[in-house]
Amino acid sequence: MVDEKELRDLVKKTVKRDDVKYVVGYEKGTYGFQVTPCFAYKPEDADKFVFSPLCVHNLVVFPMLEEKPPLRKGEQPDSRKVGVVVKGCDSRAIIQIIQEKGLDRDKVVIIGIPCTGVIDPKKIKAKFPGQVKNVEIKDDNDKFAITINGKTHNIAKDELMPDKCLTCEYPTPVLYDILIGKEIKSNKKEDYKKVTSFEKKSLKEKWQYWEKQFEKCIRCYACRNSCPLCYCKECMVDQLDPQWVRRTVDVSENTAWNIMRAFHLAGRCIGCGQCERVCPMDLPLMELNKKIEKDIKELFEYTPGINAEEKPLLAMFKPDDPEDFIL
Amino acid sequence: MDKMILAKNALQKFIDELLKKNKVYAPIKNDETVLFEEIKKPSEMTLDYINSEYPPKALMLNQTETLFKYIPGTKGKIEPVNMDEDKIIFGIRPCDAKSFAILDHVFKSDFEDPYFLTKRKNTTLIGLSCIEPGVNCFCTSFDDSPASSKDLDILLTDIGDKYYVEVFTDKGRKLANTASKLFKPATESDAKKKKDAEKKAIDAIKRVQKTENIAEKLDKIFDNKYWKEVAAKCVGCGTCTYLCPTCHCFDIQDESTLTKGARIRVWDTCMNPEYTLHASGYNPRPARTNRVRNRVYHKYNYYPKNFDVIACVGCGRCIDLCPVNIDIIDVVTTAGEVKP
Repeated sequence: MVDEKELRDLVKKTVKRDDVKYVVGYEKGTYGFQVTPCFAYKPEDADKFVFSPLCVHNLVVFPMLEEKPPLRKGEQPDSRKVGVVVKGCDSRAIIQIIQEKGLDRDKVVIIGIPCTGVIDPKKIKAKFPGQVKNVEIKDDNDKFAITINGKTHNIAKDELMPDKCLTCEYPTPVLYDILIGKEIKSNKKEDYKKVTSFEKKSLKEKWQYWEKQFEKCIRCYACRNSCPLCYCKECMVDQLDPQWVRRTVDVSENTAWNIMRAFHLAGRCIGCGQCERVCPMDLPLMELNKKIEKDIKELFEYTPGINAEEKPLLAMFKPDDPEDFIL
Repeated sequence: MDKMILAKNALQKFIDELLKKNKVYAPIKNDETVLFEEIKKPSEMTLDYINSEYPPKALMLNQTETLFKYIPGTKGKIEPVNMDEDKIIFGIRPCDAKSFAILDHVFKSDFEDPYFLTKRKNTTLIGLSCIEPGVNCFCTSFDDSPASSKDLDILLTDIGDKYYVEVFTDKGRKLANTASKLFKPATESDAKKKKDAEKKAIDAIKRVQKTENIAEKLDKIFDNKYWKEVAAKCVGCGTCTYLCPTCHCFDIQDESTLTKGARIRVWDTCMNPEYTLHASGYNPRPARTNRVRNRVYHKYNYYPKNFDVIACVGCGRCIDLCPVNIDIIDVVTTAGEVKP
């Protein structure tokens, strides 16, 4: 468990630096199991910072969402660094973006937190419904200690963690400037259990499953906007001329959107699971992402977001690449 | 107003009776998501839910609505679409029913929108009191009640082994009469049970939004840095607006192939930068700060000024499902305390 005092002190120190604009971390949310992104512009803002198993958000999305308003005459752009608090999975998003030259390494200060697993908000809401007051949760080795109305419930982690944590191979941030606490080694392995069992289904069954899912999509694009790797200046679904995907919300256009989203993340998705977490209609988007991740691992022995010096998968060519798909 | 009793085991028969002559829309469970969809038999619906994920406004203002169809080209022609037939929405919550009344203001003020208003006219609303409100329910902040009757034709309230049925309009009476043998007159003790259930539900609502003089207060803080703080964590998706029962902005598009086409309208969201983007390239709401502020002002300032009602019913959907916990209760209450 992370020492919150150490976190706050380090954030304060970082915000004080002349070359840092702000640090984004987490603070207590407004109800129940909520934790919410928090921005420290001044050292005292860091007093609000927390870190608990409820810190599910991937905050790397924020440096990517920075707006660059047009400058007035003679005005200089604010080119100071942005500080981000990251868990293991989140740090891989930064690496991937740096690889793609979407972000300069020296424009971010990465505050890494070795992560012992977060809580799936949907699972905990189902287990303890109706929580209005903020609930405190602590990490207790293989259990989460959840204190509600003075009573502490110790729940096995496996019961409340999202799938990504159950098979997490990178609990310690892979890239960081400052690390809070000690490194953690993982003995877990991504086994693609869900994908493998789904692959065994017939084509018809697969389509039936996904049609039912895509039918629910309302195209709010929460999946896209919460994804640190969806940072195109103009997303292809927003383009009007040419219009790649129609505005009509039906199973055909929704399928186009969801498949294109997954494909645009091929070899780039680092599996932080934000898309699935934020989907208001509960689409199992990680199942798509994981299928592509598995194929890429098998075909090219490539895992995204591990090495900032490496080239992105789609910018690489090796003479012995498999070419089975070329007819 | 008629007050009656419907035994719980007679509910199925009542729905069967309704289904004989009407299209009935009711909450159904699709995996974990509850939506209002057309049902063919009573067993398809679920009444065990707090709020549907997708608001029933989608039945009045469809997310995608064909305005007319056409055949393009010089010899082209326009084909009008069939306006909606009669339907019943069963199991709608009082807050969602209120949202229809709020939407009426827009759709019949400057221009009478035939699509929305025809559906409104042809729809009978059979409500179901919300006896176990959700975490983020706050209808009581607008002096409403989870068992409010204001905008419904019929209201059912679960009072244990039976439903307390109140009929408010002629439309509702007509429907109730088709199954009159299923209903029994309500007694004083039934009326008391309904009151008790309502009180219990009101007491269960813990969250409060302070909306006193909010329109005037907001007038004074339009340029306040507060809005920048609120918007800093917004990721700019459309969840809050699409799931809002009173958000009603739409975009109009022609979608055609070489031989056929349709003019459609689809929900739009003010969270999208394209929403106010002018053809010239100028955007009056260029930053998320402007857009997040607009959502709040539209509901708590422009709407009260134009139509004398706050455009929020307190269903809590935008709070439940915001990816970053932008909480309209908190945002508005704090805005009221910001010093101009």
